[in-house]
Amino acid sequence: MDRRTFIALSAVAVMGLTLAPTLQPAFGSTPRLEEELQKRLGVRLAQIKEVGEVKLTAPTIAESGANVPITVESDIPIDRVEHLWVFVDKNPVPWIADVKLTPMNGQVYFSTRIKMGETSNVRAILKLKDGSYVMATKEVKVTAGGCG
Amino acid sequence: MNISRREFLGYSALTLSTLALSPGAFAKNPLSFERLMEFKPYGNLTLVFISDFHGHLKPMYFAEPMNLLAPEPLKGTPGYLAGRDFLNFYNIKPGSVEAYTGSCLSFIKLAKLYGMTGGGPQVATVIKTIVRERGKDKCLVLDGGDTWATSGIAVKTDGMAIVDWLNYVGFDYMVAHWDITVGKDKFLDIVKNKLKAKFLSYNITEEPFGDLVFPPYDVVERGGVKVGIIGSSFPFTPLANPRVYTEGWSFGVRPDELQKYVKELREKHKVDLVILLSHDGLPLDIALMKLVKGIDIVISGHTHDITPLPVKVGDTLIVSPGSHGKFVGRMDLDVRGGKLQGYRLKLIPVLSEVVPEDKGAKELVKKWYAPHEKELNTVIGNAKTLLYKRDTVFSTWDRLIGEALADYYHGVDAVMSLDVGTSPGFRWGTTVLPGQKIRVEHVYDVLGMTYPEVFVMKRKGRELLTLWEDVADNVFNPNPLYQQGGDMSRIYGVEYELKINAKQGERIRNVRIKGKPIEMDKEYVVAVYGGPPPMGIKPEKKNIREIVIDYIKKKGDIKVDRRPNLKVLDHPYNTDCYWR
Repeated sequence: MDRRTFIALSAVAVMGLTLAPTLQPAFGSTPRLEEELQKRLGVRLAQIKEVGEVKLTAPTIAESGANVPITVESDIPIDRVEHLWVFVDKNPVPWIADVKLTPMNGQVYFSTRIKMGETSNVRAILKLKDGSYVMATKEVKVTAGGCG
Repeated sequence: MNISRREFLGYSALTLSTLALSPGAFAKNPLSFERLMEFKPYGNLTLVFISDFHGHLKPMYFAEPMNLLAPEPLKGTPGYLAGRDFLNFYNIKPGSVEAYTGSCLSFIKLAKLYGMTGGGPQVATVIKTIVRERGKDKCLVLDGGDTWATSGIAVKTDGMAIVDWLNYVGFDYMVAHWDITVGKDKFLDIVKNKLKAKFLSYNITEEPFGDLVFPPYDVVERGGVKVGIIGSSFPFTPLANPRVYTEGWSFGVRPDELQKYVKELREKHKVDLVILLSHDGLPLDIALMKLVKGIDIVISGHTHDITPLPVKVGDTLIVSPGSHGKFVGRMDLDVRGGKLQGYRLKLIPVLSEVVPEDKGAKELVKKWYAPHEKELNTVIGNAKTLLYKRDTVFSTWDRLIGEALADYYHGVDAVMSLDVGTSPGFRWGTTVLPGQKIRVEHVYDVLGMTYPEVFVMKRKGRELLTLWEDVADNVFNPNPLYQQGGDMSRIYGVEYELKINAKQGERIRNVRIKGKPIEMDKEYVVAVYGGPPPMGIKPEKKNIREIVIDYIKKKGDIKVDRRPNLKVLDHPYNTDCYWR
């Protein structure tokens, strides 16, 4: 995908987008991924199927945890898709983004930058029109360094 | 495919069967230049390549590691073959020149027999001889990066001495890692205005929009073959080195983009052959080639591995030509009908006393060294122990550096007594034989960063442990895509146990600092250098080179305890390979 298409599509995606205020300070109790999923999707992680049709692109090792580029794409026709979420398991608030998709989006494509507190799985979850959930997971390592 | 294994083995068999004899039995080096160069030309295209030259225009000793500790799934695979494992895997005879240049076994004895390796004039001779014999129109001369940094002459000339040498020898393409640490502006100036070779990198892009900073690939015709060559610079440069050198640039491993360029070369440019010139490191390239299809050959740098035979992943052949000017790779290819039909490979060992010096390159080296010769040649001590750098977790050079740091801080301020000194696990460095004089240049060869500042700070036990676990995961993660390609930090003043195959956060155990169990909430005084600078801390007055030089001068005779400060729980750990 070249830059122009990327920007055009991002602009479309932004219309339906609420971005979570990332990395809120964790007060006392840190909500865990399951709680967040229950709260926002009403399902448990075990009920979401990992499928090849959802593609999550993210670095294996982040250049900076403060700024991790991720892209979610899918071949699933847009009129079969309702919603997209992004979660980071180990962030103090695992919920990252919540995107409502409409056929006007043309295709499932969402690209942004997220904050990550530590090494964790990143998850892109799609809710389909038939009520089922599918996802892609990728581990992103956040490291203090090491040397070449 | 025409495999050159037989010829390779034949060549090995020709070499010494005389290890039992004392090295003194030889009046001179047992090998001739012709023997080293022996190669039956093959096919219609020749790749000539080096990688990880690390700024060494003069011959040196460089001992291969005694240990390359592997996480379980990678054990026994190329990238993790040290000592006898390396010899057995490639069927190399102990005592042969391949054994000397490729393994740790009997290094001290063999170094006296075969002498130093590498050197700008010697490497130039080998490359120019191949190109002359084969014809320039049939050759591609490639450099895998880590070329003009991390040595005395590199630091003193901002890399320019080596750039001049690259231009003289006639390199066609290169990629980078440490080369960028001359400074971003200087680096761009070299690449755009001074370097004759074309600089390629598909994985360096501008933040935040992702425009390419350099051409990702080039298409070139040699020997009637249309070759597409893609460059990949070290994917984790922004993490391994201070961010200031790569400010505004993003790197990374990008399988999708790489696949896109391969497709572009095959479909749009209709190339016959696709080469990836890479500074990813061998384990990472092996993992990456399982994801990306259609690359014929990878010339793989960074991890300094030596592959006398290519590593095959699907239809891709991966070759890693060692480091520090020890080898020149020659790979003859038969490319017909838009396909690689066969190949013949040899990593030519560059024995400095055997390979004649190229006159022009010798002049060039002399010219660049002239203003610095006196300083770099100053003798500062005598080595009583073998000083080596390469190993996954421990080295005598690093222990010496740790001692120097501790000594410096005890001396300066009685209150500020050092608890821990960390030394980065760089894979580059030098080897000093017992009995050799230690010169200032040796210290540069081990500590030739453009950022030699030392930082002293207080850190809690738990913070230190988190940091070391982090580094351990970058080294021992079972998935090479999550490794960073360096060795483990050397931690002076600390004893610990290491379980390579434990989960992240559980690898480092039973830590003792200055003999006492680590306390999680206690603050320790820690000295560090050679990594991204810690925030908000001013560097010390003396840099790490000055501290080490002063210490060696003060002690004169340098004896270093060569027993490692850690115990590896789930992997054999060799401690006497060099001395056998």
